[in-house]
Amino acid sequence: MIVAGIDAGSRAVKVVLLSTDNGTEPGVLASDLEDSSPDQAAHAQRVLDRVLQEAGHTMQDVGFVVATGYARHLLDFADKAITEITCHARGVQKHLPNTRSIIEIGGQDSKVIHLDAQGRVEDFTMNDRCAAGTGCFLELVARRLGVNLNELGELAEGSKQPATISSMCAVFAETEIIGLLAGGQAPCDIAAGVQLAIARRIASMAGRRLTCPVVFTGGVARTRGMRRVLSEAIDHPLALSPEPQLTGALGAALLAADHARSTTI
Amino acid sequence: MGAPAVISLQQWDRRHGELCRAGMMEPSYGGPLGRHVQDGDLRLCELQFDNSPAALRLWNFLLSEEDRLHDARMAGKCIVGTMKDLGTVPVLAYALDNVVAFYPDGAWWTPCVMRHSDKLLRVADSLGLDESFCPVRAMAGAFVTGNHFPIPDMLLCSVGAVCDDFSAIAQRIEGLGHPIVWWEMPPRRSPAPGEPTVLLPTGFTVSPQQVAFVSRELRRVARALEQLTGQRLDATRLQRGFQQANKVRQTLHELRRLAYTVDPCPLPALEMLIAEMLAIHFCSDQPESLAVLEALLDEVQQRAQEGVGVLEKDAVRVFWINPVADLRVMNLLEKVGGRIAGSDYMFCHALEPIPQDLEPFEALARCALSDPMVGTVGDRGQRACQQAKDFGSEAVIISRIPGASHCAYEGDVIGKMIRRELGLPVLEIEVPPISDTVEPALRTRLEALMEIVHTRRRS
Repeated sequence: MIVAGIDAGSRAVKVVLLSTDNGTEPGVLASDLEDSSPDQAAHAQRVLDRVLQEAGHTMQDVGFVVATGYARHLLDFADKAITEITCHARGVQKHLPNTRSIIEIGGQDSKVIHLDAQGRVEDFTMNDRCAAGTGCFLELVARRLGVNLNELGELAEGSKQPATISSMCAVFAETEIIGLLAGGQAPCDIAAGVQLAIARRIASMAGRRLTCPVVFTGGVARTRGMRRVLSEAIDHPLALSPEPQLTGALGAALLAADHARSTTI
Repeated sequence: MGAPAVISLQQWDRRHGELCRAGMMEPSYGGPLGRHVQDGDLRLCELQFDNSPAALRLWNFLLSEEDRLHDARMAGKCIVGTMKDLGTVPVLAYALDNVVAFYPDGAWWTPCVMRHSDKLLRVADSLGLDESFCPVRAMAGAFVTGNHFPIPDMLLCSVGAVCDDFSAIAQRIEGLGHPIVWWEMPPRRSPAPGEPTVLLPTGFTVSPQQVAFVSRELRRVARALEQLTGQRLDATRLQRGFQQANKVRQTLHELRRLAYTVDPCPLPALEMLIAEMLAIHFCSDQPESLAVLEALLDEVQQRAQEGVGVLEKDAVRVFWINPVADLRVMNLLEKVGGRIAGSDYMFCHALEPIPQDLEPFEALARCALSDPMVGTVGDRGQRACQQAKDFGSEAVIISRIPGASHCAYEGDVIGKMIRRELGLPVLEIEVPPISDTVEPALRTRLEALMEIVHTRRRS
């Protein structure tokens, strides 16, 4: 049987297909992602159809679909909606089973998820009221610095002295960045300063409750240099989840597999 | 009457017609819920309600309070505004004849119920009471516009171990020409080693010095009420008043026991929140508030007996701390699969019976001092732990009220205590008066909490 996990996030739609045949451990059949568009439900369906087609399947072959992410309740073709918190935890567990803390930074929010020794979510903290600790802040800064989001990390690596971004609000921080640029501050220092500001914000949200091993996931984890800066800010070693942007969708697919298995049994 | 269900306002209005045709008897303030929307209570259109006639009566009773207060004024009754004090002074006031006590702080829900169309918060802003203050600042707006409750003949307000921003709001109201009789409620102090100890109704202990002090303060409040009404608050009147208040408290005690423990849940969270509030203000009519609660209790007892309820059987049992500024969030909890199993809406002490074997003012002082809010956050956390345990809660939600000074750090402390002592998952949320823009975020948090509990149940 095939199951699907769809993470309909604010920034991208991610799809993971799993094959659950013969009662074996589910294996990834195909996956992909696309930038989000306003019609989240139709878009998610299109991405799923495409991924299925590329894997040589159709929607008829899919036994169970779990939707997660910001638009999870809009996907009426999904069998179940599960929060990103549970899905990221499950996705990370697949690759790094001993994980006790997860830091997830997505396009619109950031989360710190605490797991118990059995890998169950114990607690979580979430920031979705302020853009300064999220991926959209990085996007805003990349735009202001005239680089692609994927190039921002590379740019930051050239910094010898990261700029100090003191504003805790993304809107004020942008004004601050305009001032820094006008004052002749090097773009690489600004990019590095912004990474540092995000990392410190996440560290403050995490407080002292982090337990090792700590894993970094979500779209922002793909940004070069972010893991190192965040690891320093939280003062803990930080492992990177494989394909961090797909972790939520993978978790959703694994939960879909669990569900399909339990209903089959 | 049909099976218990949660229905919309439109459905209620249709049902009201059907019930009337079937012979439902209503009190003078009865009628379809939709009529309150005509009066500006726009939020009702977005709420979900219990479908029992008892719940309809509760809502109509709540939403007709302003009419009742204006009627009381027309009838020449004394109107007393009891501010901040949660449940103590109204007991004194209702021991007197021809007195109606109400709770002007209740205006904090008006911006929610009227979807800001009342503009009370804007008026409060213009008085220098901006959003850094608790939404109870709406009360100041209500005093200025005069569009809600009549200006009381007397205002009584406790001060001291209450939230700082509330005192500032009340002082601003006094500055607008509404004199206030202030009485002090000191922070509760545990007895020093060797000092005699008084055990309070909620289980805390206090020094007898403090009981004596609060007794004196309450006597001063009583004298002010006597001067206003020309009546004497003697022991007989007070005992009668205690008896009436205790009937309300006992009814609520049984209602809470059933609503928070029986499975499936026999009454929604929203109606229970409104019902619990009657313990502190009686909604300007003490005998009627008892009748409203008794009708609800009858309904709940019947549902419990028949094994029917308004939610799925496996709803996640949540202990809820602090009332929400937006009533809709109580619906949201149930929508995502939760139910209330225990609450601390900041007036637990007003749910405890007033001792009737003590000197009346000492009895009231002990009740007032047993308020978890006048002690340390640790005290409050301790009581929350005990209550969550007693009610068999599986998770705890601490709801912050934006701007409320008593909420700033307590969530963190109480949350840590609950995690440590009970090992329960804790969620801290902040709910503004209209939560629509943060609803997706609130929903994600609540759903994640439900998922955590479901995972725990499975293992």
